[in-house]
Amino acid sequence: MSEENPATTRPAIEVDALRIRHHGRETWTPDGVSFSVRAGEVMLVLGPSGSGKSTLTLALDGLVPHVVAADVEGSVRVGGLDTASHSVARMSEHVAIVFQDPDAQIVTGSVLDEVCFAPENQLLPIDVVLARAEAALRRVGLWERRDEDPAVLSGGGRQRLAIAAALAAGGEVIVLDEPTANLDAAGAEDVYDSLREVVADGSRSVVLVEHDLDAAVTLVDRVVVLDRRGALVLDGPVDVVLREHAVELERLGVWLPTATTAAVRLSRAGVPFERLPLTPAELAVALDAVAELPAPLAPVVVPTPADAAVTTDTTAVSVRGLTVFRGRGRGRVPVLRDVDLSIRSGAFTAVVGVNGAGKTTLLQAIAGVVRPPRGTVSLAGLDPAAARAAALSRHVGFVFQNPEHQFMTHTVRDELAYGPRATGREPAQIDAQVDELLDRFGLAEAADVNPFLLSGGQKRRLSVGTALIGGAGVLVLDEPTFGQDRERADELVDLLATLQATGTTVIVATHDLQLVAETATSVVVLADGRVIAHAPPDAVFEDDDLLVRAGLRRPALSRAMRLLERHPDWRGITALSRLPGPPR
Amino acid sequence: MRPGTERSRGYLHGLNPLVTVVAPLPAMIAVIVSRDLATPVAFLLLGLGLILTGAHPSTRTTALLVLVLPAAIAIGTVGFGVWTDPARVDRSVVLLDAGAYRLYEGSLLAGLAASLRLAALLVLALLAGLSATGPDFVRSTVQYLRLPYRIAYTALAAYRFVPRFRRDLELIRQAHRVRGPGVRRGPGSAISRVTASVVPLLAGAIRHAERVALAMDARAFGAHSTRTERHLVPLRGRDAVFVTLSWAVTAAIVVMLPAH
Repeated sequence: MSEENPATTRPAIEVDALRIRHHGRETWTPDGVSFSVRAGEVMLVLGPSGSGKSTLTLALDGLVPHVVAADVEGSVRVGGLDTASHSVARMSEHVAIVFQDPDAQIVTGSVLDEVCFAPENQLLPIDVVLARAEAALRRVGLWERRDEDPAVLSGGGRQRLAIAAALAAGGEVIVLDEPTANLDAAGAEDVYDSLREVVADGSRSVVLVEHDLDAAVTLVDRVVVLDRRGALVLDGPVDVVLREHAVELERLGVWLPTATTAAVRLSRAGVPFERLPLTPAELAVALDAVAELPAPLAPVVVPTPADAAVTTDTTAVSVRGLTVFRGRGRGRVPVLRDVDLSIRSGAFTAVVGVNGAGKTTLLQAIAGVVRPPRGTVSLAGLDPAAARAAALSRHVGFVFQNPEHQFMTHTVRDELAYGPRATGREPAQIDAQVDELLDRFGLAEAADVNPFLLSGGQKRRLSVGTALIGGAGVLVLDEPTFGQDRERADELVDLLATLQATGTTVIVATHDLQLVAETATSVVVLADGRVIAHAPPDAVFEDDDLLVRAGLRRPALSRAMRLLERHPDWRGITALSRLPGPPR
Repeated sequence: MRPGTERSRGYLHGLNPLVTVVAPLPAMIAVIVSRDLATPVAFLLLGLGLILTGAHPSTRTTALLVLVLPAAIAIGTVGFGVWTDPARVDRSVVLLDAGAYRLYEGSLLAGLAASLRLAALLVLALLAGLSATGPDFVRSTVQYLRLPYRIAYTALAAYRFVPRFRRDLELIRQAHRVRGPGVRRGPGSAISRVTASVVPLLAGAIRHAERVALAMDARAFGAHSTRTERHLVPLRGRDAVFVTLSWAVTAAIVVMLPAH
């Protein structure tokens, strides 16, 4: 008998020759994409930035073209319904979407209300609303916290809540667009643990856009890859796409799991791999199967000697007995407790720690953004507690997380000249200096553009330029790669490495520990307002106890290397740059 | 007050939020048009009594109402008194004679009346503010005043932006402080500083609002002309009793107090 129920054989999602062009744009991204997702399948969408991944997710939900105006050719069917001819509200019964920013998708004042929001809008009876809400909250482990305000949850907790809200909407498809880009490693893991629960019974299909594959890869069944123009270049099981086409993907500008990136490099140095690894554990097993490995490369970055070796004439920043309180009265709590710290001139220092450990407060005190108590901070002799803005800008520049916050004028040129003009220097001299910086930061062609109209990368470079034009030898950056795609983050890291090479002291707060392993010469580990370590990255990553106390997770490469049994000299490696074999 | 932070509930919490807005309205009008001292004092005391017995305010709020409010009234009395046009007050008693300047008792009385009126209005408005939660108020307006839920719930979602914008504004101010004062001095500089912080704040706000709107649309917001309401905010007999009593007491106070 060939009487199959069409509902069970029909794919959950069918995308056919889909092209999308946003109004006012020239190019179509995605461009002619066709694929389908089976019921219960987890599909990962990869592609370099600008390939139209986010646009694709909006089209799966019908938000493109119903809410976000765009030209659409081809078709998208979810649960058999054509998204173009059904309203977003109708589609919400079949497909739900989880966005990148947890703050921008939570709209009510309690966890329970949030999960009930979609079924309430769908006019379901109260008992159905509550039953769905309870089932969804239990799935992500938030049922016990249903009466709390979402604002008190951690970032990972809020994204889990967004996933629960998507579940409660009742659809068989969940689309997630970079759900962990705004989270630290612990938060990302939290989200993927929940997602694993969600897909465990095979009742829901998932489409996932994600660039940090270390946490996601074990969850994924299939991968589709878009190229820079938005055309589909690969579609297949995760094992085929990631293991057999890794080099091709790298060339496309797609980010691979750290273990895969490492293996691609090593295979160029002659290390044999039967098949490329996707996880740290697989990498360790593959390397242990090889009798002899080439010697690891010497570290690219030279670690700075720790505190004791610092003499006053090479100290760029010195902090003594710094305690900072937040709040007033009984709510007054110490954010930093008795911090002592010396940072060498020319070092690249990473400040790490979980949210609330005091990273931002320490950075702001060093740069005088929030004035520290007198006598606790010294920038080569200057006390930011007492210095005027102009004097401060000759010593230290501060770059905020969002570069737009710093813009004050109407052109890029004025923006750079803003600080120097206040010092009353010769206009000709200022012009010359501005021109030089415009060239150095690749902004010469944009000199007369309004800063708000620059691209994201240009905005970031401009904010670094304005921080440095006063002649500051110390550059302080607060989470500069937070919420950014990999490409832009790398561009910034390259810029910072160049600045450090020319003598600038760089201090960065970050939660990207792989970045720390690759670029930092020293690491300051904060926990609960105290400095619990200040050491070179390798020493920090070697110390399990320290990482646990700080609540940090070892980055993927280091996790793999520490599993090695046959190659003791490789166990301490944390940076990809120490692996033999050319990067590309 | 959030559900998580349990505090004992007074009888005002058991009322429909609309009632706590409607009941004090006549009293507020009476206070606004009054020129004597007795009317604002009477409503001030009445309002304070209701709040303290019926809304179980926190220690902090109680202290503000009982200690800071009288102090503010005293300061207001002097402040308004000095500002009052002496030509319009009783000038029979001179309290202070400093050359060309004279402070009359009549001025101080006018100042006292003005600050008592303000204090009474504040306390009457706090009746609703301290007893009703925002979501319940919005639910009531949708339920009883037929306010379209699309407007009401959007307003509620927008209200949740406020802490975010406050944080953004603080960050922008910090960022601008780091940039230094610039070349311009004086009021021109102050104005350009304000506009310079408005642009990034608005740019961020618009982006955020767009994202929130997408997230709400994706969850079927506005799909139907009504939405399921899990807990209806009831309008009960006690609500009618409270409004009737409030209005009757208001009328009695207005009638019985001797008009000046």
